[in-house]
Formats: sequence, structure tokens, C-alpha cells
Amino acid sequence: MADPHIIVEDLVKTYPGAARPSVDHVSFALPRGEMLALLGPSGCGKTTILRMIAGLIDPTAGHIRLNGREISQIPVYRRNMGMVFQAYALFPHMTVAENVAFGLEMRNIPKSERAQKVARALDMVKLGGLGDRRVTQLSGGQQQRCAIARSLVIEPELLLLDEPLSNLDAKLRDEMRDEIRDIQRRTGVTAIFVTHDQDEALSMADRLAVMSAGRLEQIGTPRQIFDAPASEFVAGFIGAGNFFPGRISAPGLAEVEGIGTLAFDGAGTPGDAVKLMVRPHRLKLAQDAAPGPNRFAGQVEKVTYRGQILTLAVDVAGRRMLADMHTHAGALPQTGDRITLTVAPVDVTLIGGGGA
Amino acid sequence: MSATAYPAECPAGRNRLIVLMLLVPGLLALLCTFLLPMAWLARASLSAGGMTAFGSELTLANYRAALTDPFYWQVGLNTLWLGVTVSVFAVLLGYPIALFLARTQSRWRGVLTALAVAPLLTSAVVRTYGWMVLLGDRGVINSTLAALSLTDAPIRLSNNSLGANIALIEILMPYAILAMLAGFGRLNPALEEAAAMLGANRLRVFWRIILPLSLPGVLTGALLVFVLAISSFVTPRLMGGGRVFVLGTEIYSEATVTLNWPLAAALAMILLGIFSTVIVLYQRALRGLEG
Ligand SMILES: Nc1ncnc2c1ncn2[C@@H]1O[C@H](COP(=O)(O)OP(=O)(O)OP(=O)(O)O)[C@@H](O)[C@H]1O
Ligand SMILES: [Mg+2]
Repeated sequence: MADPHIIVEDLVKTYPGAARPSVDHVSFALPRGEMLALLGPSGCGKTTILRMIAGLIDPTAGHIRLNGREISQIPVYRRNMGMVFQAYALFPHMTVAENVAFGLEMRNIPKSERAQKVARALDMVKLGGLGDRRVTQLSGGQQQRCAIARSLVIEPELLLLDEPLSNLDAKLRDEMRDEIRDIQRRTGVTAIFVTHDQDEALSMADRLAVMSAGRLEQIGTPRQIFDAPASEFVAGFIGAGNFFPGRISAPGLAEVEGIGTLAFDGAGTPGDAVKLMVRPHRLKLAQDAAPGPNRFAGQVEKVTYRGQILTLAVDVAGRRMLADMHTHAGALPQTGDRITLTVAPVDVTLIGGGGA
Repeated sequence: MSATAYPAECPAGRNRLIVLMLLVPGLLALLCTFLLPMAWLARASLSAGGMTAFGSELTLANYRAALTDPFYWQVGLNTLWLGVTVSVFAVLLGYPIALFLARTQSRWRGVLTALAVAPLLTSAVVRTYGWMVLLGDRGVINSTLAALSLTDAPIRLSNNSLGANIALIEILMPYAILAMLAGFGRLNPALEEAAAMLGANRLRVFWRIILPLSLPGVLTGALLVFVLAISSFVTPRLMGGGRVFVLGTEIYSEATVTLNWPLAAALAMILLGIFSTVIVLYQRALRGLEG
């Protein structure tokens, strides 16, 4: 990251009267043109970070730099950032076109040029022809597109989106997900969006920041976060996982009570207490019940059919493990069957081990 | 997933019956205390002149008398003018207060709202007397000015329409504030933030967002104050010292001094006509505002 577009440094926000900070020393950097997802459970401070970047609230401490320049002292209306609010915040007393034109009007752009830009922006979000409608007469998806057009037409330095999809139904959400991603790529705008939906974050973002209780747990590409989570929290938040507390016995080997030896990807320091993780979809059915490392013998407790995959809940030495099987994998286990699961050492992740 | 079904033993027809029965007491009260007196008033306005005993013949003489007398035209204009000035100033003065109350995050908001409308707890008559004490020729203001030798003769602040205006504006302002608060439902901090993000400074946020969105409330407040002002008679009479003639005071004196009830009834019907016109205009304007 030679020349990051935006840098957030040691950002802290403590609301007046609050006992502990809502955002606690968060730092990250984002290159121009990338899309960052801020992901985390409800109340972890995602909106607060976004609002500090926007200038809608003042940080308690820390720096926000845009193109290398500190922006904390610049008022909201001069920051030139676009924001898509969760409830869209379209102006109800204006038409669609007037909403989109508002930012241009504030910039004193002449009328004819304004009209052209508005038309182009509306076309981009597939709202061409609806410019004269009242925003109250738009569907949820159309309102959302209008909000996106309104924030992009000013050619913002930064596009901020606060849970832009949470008010839409599942089908529309998938469509809009692709569309937002597409628009962001085409315009090349640097974007930060907030979500607590891991699918949304994984599929839309170039970079993902996982937060918990005001702190940044990990930042990286979706792949890094998914395959090499820095903490059990991150691993559990992004996708399902089976976790095993263990102790390293030799480089690349750990002893797990009740299970035996697990060979994993990496080395570790012998004697350390560690956490290991196996994703459910990396587990496979063993053909025989011979004992050995990376084998889990147990009894199927529950089978959940989910179309392409089947999720097995297996009782292994008193521990419940989840395993995903492809439904085309031939004879499938039934509830009550005794089975043995295996996993390749590369698919056993040492939590916080840095990994691949 | 499925819509909640109504319990089988309670079909829609029976619901409607219950609703009708619940409406009966209210409708009866309205009939006895409002519709019948109004009908009586309308009938009275069509009777031949005289005291309280009306003949059976119908006549438009009272309306003719009212509408051909230049004095009553002047009274009508005075009334409208009083309504306009009082509603404009009550709304102008009440608007910042209502806006503050609507937008404040303070936990004292409830208390502050109660304080703003607390004057409603005393009667308009009492407050009118209060204003007489303040604004009279030998009232607090004039005696202070005289004591400071700032004026030679008292400034005429009462016994004229200025006094009636001042007192009515203050007396009716709490209604304006309440009505505006009720009409500020579309104000939303997120809209102000959205406008700021798009480059609007505080002044432009006010002009382009807050003001237009609060106009329905302003309109409602103005309507309420206007209607109350043009129908007022105690305050114009006391503060005007008998020199302010509006429809309210004239109806009152026709009914109690001249004892010409049919003419008083005709004037009341004319006032009612003005009300209706204003309310129709208000609804038009509101629809225009809210699209
Ligand atoms: N204006 C405020 N005053 C005081 N505390 C606040 C305020 N806004 C947020 N908080 C607190 O700060 C913390 C973080 O809030 P924030 O809105 O940033 O969470 P979030 O991650 O966006 O959550 P969600 O996913 O539910 O939107 C929460 O504990 C919240 O209670
Ligand atoms: Mg939030």
C-alpha cells in the first residue's frame, strides 16, 4: 500500500457519559479505489467510525487523513464525501431528480450542466425516466438507487455506506449487492461500507475489517480473514468453525484432549496452549475407522439437508462438530450412524498463527 | 407467515355494529351541543328583526343589513387584518421556540415544552388584565418610561388595536407552538445530516431542508391562531377600550346590548363562512406542500 487514500490512526470515540469508548484505538489504511467492509456485531462501533470519517461526529482522539491531509478540522459540508444512510434519508419534499441535484446545487454548478450530470447519474443506477417522481413514490430498491446516485453525482472523495442493504428483501439484496459493487468498480471511488452480514462483506469488499466491542480485531482480504483468522472471535464471526483447544507437542502437531493428535499448517512453539480451527466444509468422510492423526470418530446426532450440502452434527468424544458434505457424495450418513471424519493438515488452522 | 385471521366468532359485520354503537354517545353529544345550536343559529339569522322571539317567516333582511352597511365591511376587514397580524407574529415568535423544542436532545425537553404552553393554564381574561396593567397609560411600561424621563406623555399601547394585537399574540402563541410541534413530524436529523454531507452549510440546511419540512406545522399553527383571533372578543374589547371593532365584539354587542339576535346570528354565520373558506384554503395549501 504505497500511497493510501485514507488513513485512520488511533481513532477513539467516547460518547459523553459513556463508561468505555465505543471506538477504541482503531487504525487502518485503504488504497484508492478499494472497497472496505466494516464488519462486526451490533453495537461494536461501526457506525461511529463511519460518522467520524464523515465528520458528523468529532473523534475523542486520533487522526483521519485523506490523501495525506488531516481532515479532523474540516466541517462536514466541505469534506466532499458521499454517504448512503441506512434509511436512505432522501428529501421527501423533493423529486428524485431534485434529490440527486441537491449536492450539485450546493456546489453552484450551472443548471444545464447539473441536468446533464443528474441524468447520467440516474441512468447509471437504472432510474432514468423516474426523475420527476416524488421519492415517496419509489420502491425500497429504487429509493436505495436514488440515494446512491445522489451521493455519487458529486464525485465524492470517499463513498460511505451504512448498512445500505438492510432494508431490502433477500432477493433484492443480492441484486443490489452486485450492482453496488459494479458501480463502485466502474466509478473507481474509494468506498467504506458497514454491515453485520458476513456474506455481504465477503462478496463485496476488497478488504475486510472485523470489529468487536470498539476494537479492530483484524483487517485483510476476505480470503485472509476467512482462512487465517487472527482470533477465535473473527473465525467464529466469519463462517462456521469447529474449534479445538490444544497444546503444541512438536512443530506442526498439537495434542487435543479427547481427540488425539492434530497436524496443522504451520509450526508453533512446542508447549504453547493454542486454538485450532477446522471449517465444516473441509471435513471429509473417512472410508475406514483406523485411528490416527486428524481423525474424528463419532456418532451422527443430526442431519440438516440444505440443498447442495448436508450439514452433519456429530458427537465426537462429547464435543459437537459440524461437517458439511456435498449431497452428490454417494451414500450419505444417517442420524445415529457411527462415522469417522478426516481433515488434511493444510485445512487445520492455527488461530492467530498468521497462516497462508 | 400467514395473515392473522379474525376470530371466527367475531365477523366483520358484528365489528361494524360495535363500532357504530361506540360512536353513538359521541355523536349524540355533538348533535345536542353543536349541530342543534348551529341549526338554531342559522334559523335565527333568517328571522325578522326583533328580540328573542322569532316570527315564522324567513327573510334575508339581516344579511342584507350586514352586507350593505359599510360599517360592517370595515368590521370584517378589521377582523381579517387582526387575524393576519396576530397569526403572523404568533407564528414568527413561536417558530424558534417550537423548532428548538422539536430538535433538542435535552432531557428537560418535556419540562420545557410544558413551560412553553403553561400560559394556557390561566384564562385569557386574566392574561388580558395582566396586559392592561403592563401596557396602560399609567401601566408598568409607561410609568417606567416617565420615571426615567424618557417620555413626556404616555405612549398609547392600550385602548387601541396595537394593544389588542400585542395581547392576542401573547395569549395565542402557546397554541401556535403546540400546533407547530404537532406538525413538525417530517423533521428528521438524518435529512439534515444528508444535506450537510452533500455540501450544505447550516444556513442552507435551514432554508432547503428544515424550513420546507416544517411548513405544514407553520401552516397549522397559523390557521389555529387565525381562527382563534378572528373569533376572539374579550381581549379585543378589553384591550381596545371599546375602540377596536371586530366581528367578535360586534356580535357580542348586538346580542347583549342592542339585543338584535337575528342580526347577531347573521354576523355569526358570516364569520362561520370566513372560517370555512380559510379551512378550505388551508387544506389546499397543505396538500400542495405535502405533494
Ligand atoms: N449518540 C450516542 N450516544 C451515546 N452512545 C452511543 C451513541 N451512538 C452510539 N452509542 C454507543 O456506541 C456503541 C457503538 O454504536 P454504533 O452505532 O457505532 O454501533 P454499530 O456497530 O453501528 O451497531 P449496529 O450494527 O447495531 O448499527 C454502542 O454501544 C452504542 O450504544
Ligand atoms: Mg450502525
